[in-house]
Amino acid sequence: MDTYSKVGKSIKRIDIYEKVFGTAKYVDDIKIEGLLYGKIKRSSYSHARIIHIDTSRAEKLKGVIAVVAGKEFAENFDDPLFGNPLSDQPFLASKKVRYIGEPIAVVAAVSQEIAEEAIELIKVDYEQITPSINIKDSLRNETTLIHENLNNYKCLPGFHPINKSNICHHISIENGNTEQGFQESDLVFEDVFTHQSTQHVPIECHGAIAQFNPNGNIQLWTSDQAPYGVRKLIADALKMPESKVRITNATYVGGGFGGKLNLSGLMAIIPIAWKIRYRPVKILLNREEEFIGVTRRHGSIVKLKTGVKNDGTILSRSAEVLLDTGAYADLGPTVLIKAAFGCIGPYKVPNIKVDASCVYTNKSIASAYRGYGVPQVCWAYESQMDIIANKLGIDPLEIRLKNIVEEGYITPTEKQKVHAVGLGECLTKVSEKLSRKKIDKNIKNKKRGFGIACSYKTSKTPSGASAFIKLNFDGGVDIFVSSVEIGQGLNTVLAQIAAEELTTPFDNIRVLSADTEITPFFPATTASRSTFFAGNAVRMAAKDIVEQLFKLASEILNIKKEALALKNGAIFNKDSFDKKITITDLLEQTYPGGNSILGRGTYYHYKEGNIPSHIKLESPPLLVWMYGAQSVEVEVDTETGRITILQVLAASDVGKSINPISCEGQTEGGVLQAIGNTLYEELIYDEKGKIMNTSLLDYKIPSALDMPEINSILVENPHKEGPYGAKGLGETVVLPTAAAIGNALYDAIGVRIKDLPITPDKILRALKEKKK
Amino acid sequence: MLTIIYLFLSIESVPLNMLRAIKDFEYFAPSTLSEAISLLGHYKHNAKIFAGGTDLLIGMKKRDVNPQVLIDIKNISKLDYIRYKRSEGLKIGALATHSSIANSPIISEKYKLLKQASLSVGSLQTRNRGTMVGNICNASPSADTLPALIALNAKLKVFNIEGKKIVNIEEFIKGPFRNILKENEIISEIQIPKLPPLSSGVYLNLSKITKEDETLVGVAVVGSMENMENRICKNVRIGLGSVSPIPMRATKAEKYLTRGKMEDASFELAAEIASTECSPRSRAEYRREMVKILVKRSLTLVLDSILCSR
Amino acid sequence: MFTLGEFMKHLIKLKINEKNYEFRIEPNILLLDLIREQAGLTGTKRGCDTGECGACTVLINGVPVNSCLVLAIETDGKEITTIEGLSNNGKIYSIQEAFVEEGAVQCGFCTPGMILSSKALLDNNPNPTEEEIKKAIAGNLCRCTGYSKIIKAIMSAARKMRGE
Repeated sequence: MDTYSKVGKSIKRIDIYEKVFGTAKYVDDIKIEGLLYGKIKRSSYSHARIIHIDTSRAEKLKGVIAVVAGKEFAENFDDPLFGNPLSDQPFLASKKVRYIGEPIAVVAAVSQEIAEEAIELIKVDYEQITPSINIKDSLRNETTLIHENLNNYKCLPGFHPINKSNICHHISIENGNTEQGFQESDLVFEDVFTHQSTQHVPIECHGAIAQFNPNGNIQLWTSDQAPYGVRKLIADALKMPESKVRITNATYVGGGFGGKLNLSGLMAIIPIAWKIRYRPVKILLNREEEFIGVTRRHGSIVKLKTGVKNDGTILSRSAEVLLDTGAYADLGPTVLIKAAFGCIGPYKVPNIKVDASCVYTNKSIASAYRGYGVPQVCWAYESQMDIIANKLGIDPLEIRLKNIVEEGYITPTEKQKVHAVGLGECLTKVSEKLSRKKIDKNIKNKKRGFGIACSYKTSKTPSGASAFIKLNFDGGVDIFVSSVEIGQGLNTVLAQIAAEELTTPFDNIRVLSADTEITPFFPATTASRSTFFAGNAVRMAAKDIVEQLFKLASEILNIKKEALALKNGAIFNKDSFDKKITITDLLEQTYPGGNSILGRGTYYHYKEGNIPSHIKLESPPLLVWMYGAQSVEVEVDTETGRITILQVLAASDVGKSINPISCEGQTEGGVLQAIGNTLYEELIYDEKGKIMNTSLLDYKIPSALDMPEINSILVENPHKEGPYGAKGLGETVVLPTAAAIGNALYDAIGVRIKDLPITPDKILRALKEKKK
Repeated sequence: MLTIIYLFLSIESVPLNMLRAIKDFEYFAPSTLSEAISLLGHYKHNAKIFAGGTDLLIGMKKRDVNPQVLIDIKNISKLDYIRYKRSEGLKIGALATHSSIANSPIISEKYKLLKQASLSVGSLQTRNRGTMVGNICNASPSADTLPALIALNAKLKVFNIEGKKIVNIEEFIKGPFRNILKENEIISEIQIPKLPPLSSGVYLNLSKITKEDETLVGVAVVGSMENMENRICKNVRIGLGSVSPIPMRATKAEKYLTRGKMEDASFELAAEIASTECSPRSRAEYRREMVKILVKRSLTLVLDSILCSR
Repeated sequence: MFTLGEFMKHLIKLKINEKNYEFRIEPNILLLDLIREQAGLTGTKRGCDTGECGACTVLINGVPVNSCLVLAIETDGKEITTIEGLSNNGKIYSIQEAFVEEGAVQCGFCTPGMILSSKALLDNNPNPTEEEIKKAIAGNLCRCTGYSKIIKAIMSAARKMRGE
């Protein structure tokens, strides 16, 4: 059993004092000389051709510095489109609009007020086209294509938009023979589950500042989870070298959850910054724009067919997954990948077939949201698991334990070996520990129920991270890495890792905020990957410093490098303990004029089938597999249909909990967010594609009054590649909640809801149906 | 080149209801009611009374209302009171906030349903600023205060340049977000009559989605009993909120209950009748069902409360 | 009679965090913007502009309100407390310390408003129940923490303040 001094301890967050004192800086707190204020003019129609835009009146308004419409920008940059993997998105719509709220022009003025007034003066002539508002419209309505020619778009290899359709990516996966599997099954179940579209609702609205410089460089100040991702998107679209685009992230991001990614909702800042040349301009979205103008969670339809034996063994599973990705692909195709590969669940299924499509609709763009396609499919497969269990008369825990994957199993979809599977432990612990509270027998209309569900998610490879660490003369340490502190506690974890390796006092460690000109590459703070990849890179960088220090110390102490150890800031002879030198003394003696020690680390990992021929891997390719299970107790008022969550127990296999209190915090927050997505939240669109609930008054997220008792269990099944065995946690905690609640509801009142959100209206209606 | 579908050419319309910076306006902060009335009389429809501002300022940010003049009445200290006299009943001044009403010991003791209604309004921060009079004037179909005031048979003291008049709460609301106040009129006080012996009132509501949220269905019941032995309902008023364009009374249900015995079976039927009287628009099926449930529960609570009061 | 377009600047004198301030402002300036821009105190955050999220919570004469729905001009003669006013001479305030100890902060954006609502609660009710705490912070939305550690922190701060 390893004992660490900093890792595994609930150390105070490195950013917590700033945040409680109110001195923590977010993007809206950044003060820049000469700053202008930008406001986006948005489309009023969900599908229309732009016939003419008249910006003349706006331009004449006193205080307006610049106005830009899509056409001008497109002409100047040769019709630039951005998007990864499919570049289908304009910075500003010029020929056509594809969703209500799509940016078509931007105004920059000396005050927010004037900018707001100016956009009212922009007049647009549209020619409406029939919109496709939901998936079924889009699949049926082939004549009204949202993107007329998908083949014209630049697309990364491995992605398949279907030309002359509304499908931007399609995946087919097959393994074994599902038809035969169904024939051999004793019972076959077929169900359709839907998941509504929801919004991230970070408390900090999206914002950015941009400036074009006379030397041809562009600088942005962002509040983004993927500074390098933003840089690449802009540089690729404008056909300029990436290094000429600088992304400086604000010190802190006020909540991301996948929504503050790739400058979501703010790419329109590039055209206006260009038009202004060369003053900086800020665009801060207001709360309404947080609903209409930024990315959302994919709505989904999942059809699941499963064949089982009477003893509960799953023989065959086929799935049809449809994701509503909105007007532009954005990260939709990669969300589809996670949904398609993940829809079989963490189960051993010999025969599988998946048909998955990412479908355009004339609605706002759907993209990454905590879970990345897995919440939608987990809702399906874990709800159906209980349907199966109930029908066969098998205990829900038992049927899951019977079928879950185990170490070394090669999954039918990813076709990779699973590693570090703490799933059984998660399931068992949540089932046995949840205490069932006694109900007051006099309350006739209250019924209680208990449900469980489990999940898995992978973190994609090939992928990696680089970090470097600067050791200062006083022994203090600065960490340079482009992962982003979005509230999950990442900077603290990285500091703990550095403190562990370097024995630096925790309060003398700084983690710099991402700046693409200073901190090295990190693809994105998403996919629960930061602790794993950034953590490993930081650990390697720290070890690199230790290596350098040992080399210097061995010369001064006249001892072999291998005999040295480091503890409490001092290097000593670990065999005899007689010779010793502190790091600070070592540095002073080695570099009398002063110097920095620079440590670097690059951690990169490949997956099977994707390894460049010249790379010699030190260990076999792996994915990062993350498992979790939750149990929920609910109480239903059968007169009002109101469901109260009494308690949730969430177990997550984190590999190694580097900061337990942060892991708890992530669990508590994630579960409540998932409860919101299950019971309260839904973006409601009308038949024209307009979002009806665009404020916090009618899109409700849970408040303290809606909070149940949430307890977390951290299962530690070390991952051999993870830093100290650690994996990720951020998404695991939101995946099984919906199904666990649905299963508890069934246990309480015998009603099965398959369409999220679970509302009192639906429950009451179902109870009435049941009575008949 | 064929145009595939040529529906119609549309000039920019359907503006997205965006929040904006508040427009400039002239600001007055009179220290007496007569000053305020005189300002109102002078500026008429160009002016708005500004008290808590929690509805008004949002309206101004949305450009739904664009007053050129704001008359801030918060310096008129004489309007900030909650007074009870056994002979007269309760008087609530125009500046009494939802918080002060919820925290008032006399309201807690004698008019508990007002406390319950006030606590249902917005968040704590909103309740610390918003006034009950302001809430009434806003006339939202989902207001919590109105059903309670209807059940209590409240009256409003209205001032204008000519003098004052008393208006019945039921006549006050004209339509959703519309009241009968003329452009130069201001409410100074809510008057709630004293309650008869053997009476009680309760306000129950169900929120739309989360716990602290707009009201989906609000039910206020004030009922009195003839005597403890016969348990005959002497008088009952049932106010319903958020289930019709304006808050209403379930008069048919009231009629059925009056003179009848206060008991489970009659409550059940009265609730059924009440649910047929309302006309909810969205989530109609569920709302009607909830009117039934809440009216029954309210009547039961009122009865229990009266029985316990001995 | 007024002329449209000639809107006066009003002089207001108020205290923010026990310091005296004087501003000449137009009536349409929000208190939130006065605090963030004119007074340069950026700890108070803008979250929704409609009084729904509580990120802009400040205390006016000790009472928590949403500063996005208060006009600066109404605060003449009043005492405003923002998050910056809690740590006296650099010494951390008890509730802030409790938030630190309990790990009740993640992204930190709701934190200033949350702490001020907590302060208002404990100033008036030194021994609140869990339900009372939830009611007091129900107007402060948090998307990160799930509120659990925030409630623990407030309970812990209350105990310390009572001297337990």
